[in-house]
Amino acid sequence: MAEFEPVLTARWRTDGADTIDGYLRSGGYEGLKKALSMSPSDVIEAVKASGLRGRGGAGFPTGLKWEFTAKAQSTPKYVVCNADEGEPGTFKDRELLERDPHQLLEGVAIASHAIGCRTAFVYLRGEFLYAGRQLERAVAEAYDRGYLGRGIAGSDQDLDIVLHRGAGSYECGEETALLESLEGKRGQPRLRPPFPAVVGLYGAPTVINNVETLSAVPHILARGADWFAGIGPEKSTGTKIFCVSGKVARPGNYEAPMGTPARVVIDELAGGVPDGKRVKAWTPGGSSTPFLTDDHLDTPMDFESITAAGSLLGTGAVIVLDESDCVVDAALRFTQFYAHESCGKCTPCREGTWWLTKVLYRMENGGGRSEDVDVMVDVGDNMLFKNFCALGDGAVSPIHSSIKFFRGEYLEHVRVGGCPLRERPALGAAEPREAGVTGVVELGEVLR
Amino acid sequence: MSDNGRVTLTIDGQEVTVPAGTLVIRAAESLGIEIPRFCEHPYLDPVGACRQCIVEVEGQRKPITSCTTPVEEGMVVRTQHTSEMAHKAQEGMLELLLINHPLDCPVCDRGGECPLQDQALAWGPGESRYIDPKRVFRKPIPLSPLVLLDRERCVLCTRCTRFCEEISGEQFIEMFDRGAAQQVAIAPGEDFRSPFSGNTVQICPVGALTSETYRFAARPFDLKSADSVCPHCACGCTIRVDIRRGEVVRHQARDNPEVNDAWLCDKGRYAFRFPDRDRVTTPLLRVPGLEPASFAEVFGAIAERARGGRVAVLAGGRLTDEDAYALSKLARTAFRTNDVDHRLTGTQDVPLDVERAAAAGPGVTYRDLEKAGAIVVVGLDAREELPILHLRIRKAVRKTGARVFVIHPRRTALTDVAEHIPCRPGGEADVLEEIVAASGGDSAAARVTAALGEAGGSAVILAGPGLAASPGAVSMAVSMAQSLGARFAFLSRRAGDRGALRAGLHPGLLPGGRAVDDESERGEVEPLWGSIPGEPGRDARTILEAAARRELDLLYLIGADLRGDFPDAALADRALENVPFLVVQDISLGSEGQSADAVLPAAAFLEKEGHFTDWEGRGQRITPVRGPEGLSRPDWQIFQELSETLGADMGFSSLEALHTEMGNLLAPRSVSISPGGSRREPRPEAEGLELFTYPLLVDEGRLSVDADELKAALGTDSFVEVNPGDATRLGLAEGNEAVVRTEAGEARLPVRVSAGIVEGAAFVPYNQRGFRANVLLSGTTRAMATVEPATAAVEAAG
Repeated sequence: MAEFEPVLTARWRTDGADTIDGYLRSGGYEGLKKALSMSPSDVIEAVKASGLRGRGGAGFPTGLKWEFTAKAQSTPKYVVCNADEGEPGTFKDRELLERDPHQLLEGVAIASHAIGCRTAFVYLRGEFLYAGRQLERAVAEAYDRGYLGRGIAGSDQDLDIVLHRGAGSYECGEETALLESLEGKRGQPRLRPPFPAVVGLYGAPTVINNVETLSAVPHILARGADWFAGIGPEKSTGTKIFCVSGKVARPGNYEAPMGTPARVVIDELAGGVPDGKRVKAWTPGGSSTPFLTDDHLDTPMDFESITAAGSLLGTGAVIVLDESDCVVDAALRFTQFYAHESCGKCTPCREGTWWLTKVLYRMENGGGRSEDVDVMVDVGDNMLFKNFCALGDGAVSPIHSSIKFFRGEYLEHVRVGGCPLRERPALGAAEPREAGVTGVVELGEVLR
Repeated sequence: MSDNGRVTLTIDGQEVTVPAGTLVIRAAESLGIEIPRFCEHPYLDPVGACRQCIVEVEGQRKPITSCTTPVEEGMVVRTQHTSEMAHKAQEGMLELLLINHPLDCPVCDRGGECPLQDQALAWGPGESRYIDPKRVFRKPIPLSPLVLLDRERCVLCTRCTRFCEEISGEQFIEMFDRGAAQQVAIAPGEDFRSPFSGNTVQICPVGALTSETYRFAARPFDLKSADSVCPHCACGCTIRVDIRRGEVVRHQARDNPEVNDAWLCDKGRYAFRFPDRDRVTTPLLRVPGLEPASFAEVFGAIAERARGGRVAVLAGGRLTDEDAYALSKLARTAFRTNDVDHRLTGTQDVPLDVERAAAAGPGVTYRDLEKAGAIVVVGLDAREELPILHLRIRKAVRKTGARVFVIHPRRTALTDVAEHIPCRPGGEADVLEEIVAASGGDSAAARVTAALGEAGGSAVILAGPGLAASPGAVSMAVSMAQSLGARFAFLSRRAGDRGALRAGLHPGLLPGGRAVDDESERGEVEPLWGSIPGEPGRDARTILEAAARRELDLLYLIGADLRGDFPDAALADRALENVPFLVVQDISLGSEGQSADAVLPAAAFLEKEGHFTDWEGRGQRITPVRGPEGLSRPDWQIFQELSETLGADMGFSSLEALHTEMGNLLAPRSVSISPGGSRREPRPEAEGLELFTYPLLVDEGRLSVDADELKAALGTDSFVEVNPGDATRLGLAEGNEAVVRTEAGEARLPVRVSAGIVEGAAFVPYNQRGFRANVLLSGTTRAMATVEPATAAVEAAG
């Protein structure tokens, strides 16, 4: 890996790269100038040719998304940057915002030029206080230097950016719930179709892209689509930031070409599992992607290979469990998160995550029954693909995958009446927060 | 897509062709295949929240919700009947819906008629695998004195909140919180003060929303039900009346896409106790107190007075079409008089042609509103006076983008979807004239003209009943419709009004709007009725003046709350005191009955068969849910028997025979309206404020007796409403008492200061707690008034 030259994270180690002067010194805003010298459709063609796919988890071809929006008849059009990074295990967008905010702004400006947008929005996770301050400062600098506002970068294009902070809901990272929230409504997903590319923010055609996606765009423009397409496998091009956490020596963000084997990411980049322990289970793309095991460590980290291995690349968030970790406890933690973050709109997600939390809690704390394992699998089946949005589908991932690979460990929990691995209180040992709902609640009182 | 925008698809192996855009769930219904659902409601937008209606579509990787998916050509759909996946998904969804549901069906009002119960029985797993504790909430929470919320039973389908958002536009309730903690909620300290709140109870697919009036009142299998039509106003909402052990316990809306969709206002729903209160159950005769008598004795006493005497007949708004027809015939053939009227609202400035046209047959319909590019509402506070019309106007805006203009002295509840054009009471004709004359520019009048022009012949002008009190206004509205090519409807307010007009309870009109004084038109009726006096009779006001002057021998009131309804309380009193023989025929005695010389007990609407004709002119059938109380009888039957004593032959002794005869005379006729008025007399300048009044939806009317929950939720004490400018000028302040004086009388009323009312006007609701406005009136619902602070009045008096 030594010969790999970072792209999106190249400026992270340079002092002052987060300021506009530092950014300009290192070739910043060249991609925008290039883009502004091109016709919007040529910009879209370039992004299409680069093979860039959405880094928010779904992997939709970015150029295609732009093209749909550009072709939509009605105006105005909007670019919305989804900076509501909330997937457990994922922390790449935060660091991109903190260390290189101009890179994102440049990407937003290029996207705006491509689709004909004059007002773009950044929907930022409310908890990202420092990232928010960095972005605010960067926006002010960009206005000051003429990269935002009237006639950006010396062109005849105008662009304003509105920074909006979310209020703490994971669901608002779902693109249609994000739009609802941005419009001041409850953060619940919208029916699709119509898709945001046709009817999005305030009913206008809207492109919604992840921070990492937009951050890659300036490089594609500056260095060429072919250069980007030459990195990684044919269908998953470019570089990817992998967020490695859990039982590794050096947790953190690591940029590597798409298709880098998981073993390289975990062992070489993140320093491997400490204390000579083995990898027991890992997620390729955050808590909503099915667990894989040490049998899958040679899988290339790209969309196709990970799907073929039975999981999803998601956001590239690698959470590593070692052999001393309890899979039931991990599944409980993840499921508690989904129960807490379910928006409540649809039945399977709302009730299914509640139910699974109750069962996993019992299992981890001594009330498990052997039939509970199959009940969980079946409840998961009854949820999967029947949810309104992907949140509920993601919630099934840890259940199904952990039982698939570690059924014996679940049954062991039943046999010994609790967690066989527990030396300290389990992470999920606290009473599930939703259990608080069993208290009497006054009207309008928030239950958590 | 196949031709004519129709799409052919296959559902469970059966081919079906439906219009493009139809949802799969609807297409399945057209084949008789019912797919279970909770959030889906045919009158609400698709939301796809409950996920119960999952089906399998060939070629689709994932299951789809049939309530959100439009049909596509060649689509192959498999429902729970033919798809194991769909069946399992639906069973699983029901199990999920039930894990946090309390299963207190044995004590739940919904038990026995509950979509969750029914669909769990039909498609659910039978047994739950859920063994953990359920979600618990405090319950029930009163959202208002009418509606209670049980959040444990709630399946979060959001039908109730979507009704408030999409249909009534009154968003008192909203979903709060998220996940399993998501719940229906209302702002602290707020009441669900929407006059359509009861609809949320009816469309709740579980027992989460219940009505105070029906809580623990009955089980569905204890109920006896009949289809009827709401007796409260001219909207014509079809209802189901539920009785338990003979007593009414509930009104519910019946689905009726032509009229009320699936809705009912809270008055129609909750003011249901009147047929069970203070009923007069036997004929009574004054000897000198009112004592029980036989029908024969009462008929004899009437006959004695009527023979050779001067008789006049006044009917209220509760008669069925059949009752009105029999009464019209009785008056002309047995009493031989045209002194008959049903218009108890005082002086009416309505061209006879307008009434003739309304009497001749149906006109503008609810459906026409959805086809109308523009709707002008004048002289009508729709939510208060014809609430379902209010909802249908809103629907026209939402579904088909109709442009709506409301010309009214007060800002009405349509303001959020309409352009409000303020107008001094009495000044309606001026505003309408301005619209007719407008050409270009950016005035409100020009916008109306432009919108009507764009709408072409589809535009509709709705003239409210109150407009008749405004000089020249109805005539001007007719002119406007004629010159701008719009359709016109003069709206009736009470359930029996249009039927009474159709039947000829009018001094100048016979059935079908035939003029009494037109020999050929009269000649169309006489073969069935015998000879009819050819001179037009006197209207309600003239009749009462004659009675007050002792120029009548007998006044016959049928369902007429004269002291309450007539806009001159003093005249009504004098007439009732001075008429030598007063006959009252009604379901309860009322104040008129107390002073009557003879009383005839009438059956209530739910005890008889017949029809009500709504404002559109649409006749709809009512059926009895129980027999008449005591000795009471349907009004038409009383008229028929009385006619025999009077020596006249009505020519029918059964409802069927009456129907046949009535059908002949009431076949729709075409009546053209001659051009309306043009330039009018300028209004005389007068001192003071222009007082105007109309009844609010929830008032102290006799049909709202004992509707205490309704009044607690939506009723108000009486008040006088003035504009802030007038308030400042006159020294009036919100909440303080004011003395309102007209030439007819005076009243002390609390002041409401509102920017929603035009300057120079004062509004007093017709009949609220504490005050009936006809004390201030002299025969019409408008009057010049002075309004001054009560303290100043005291000082002046001192």
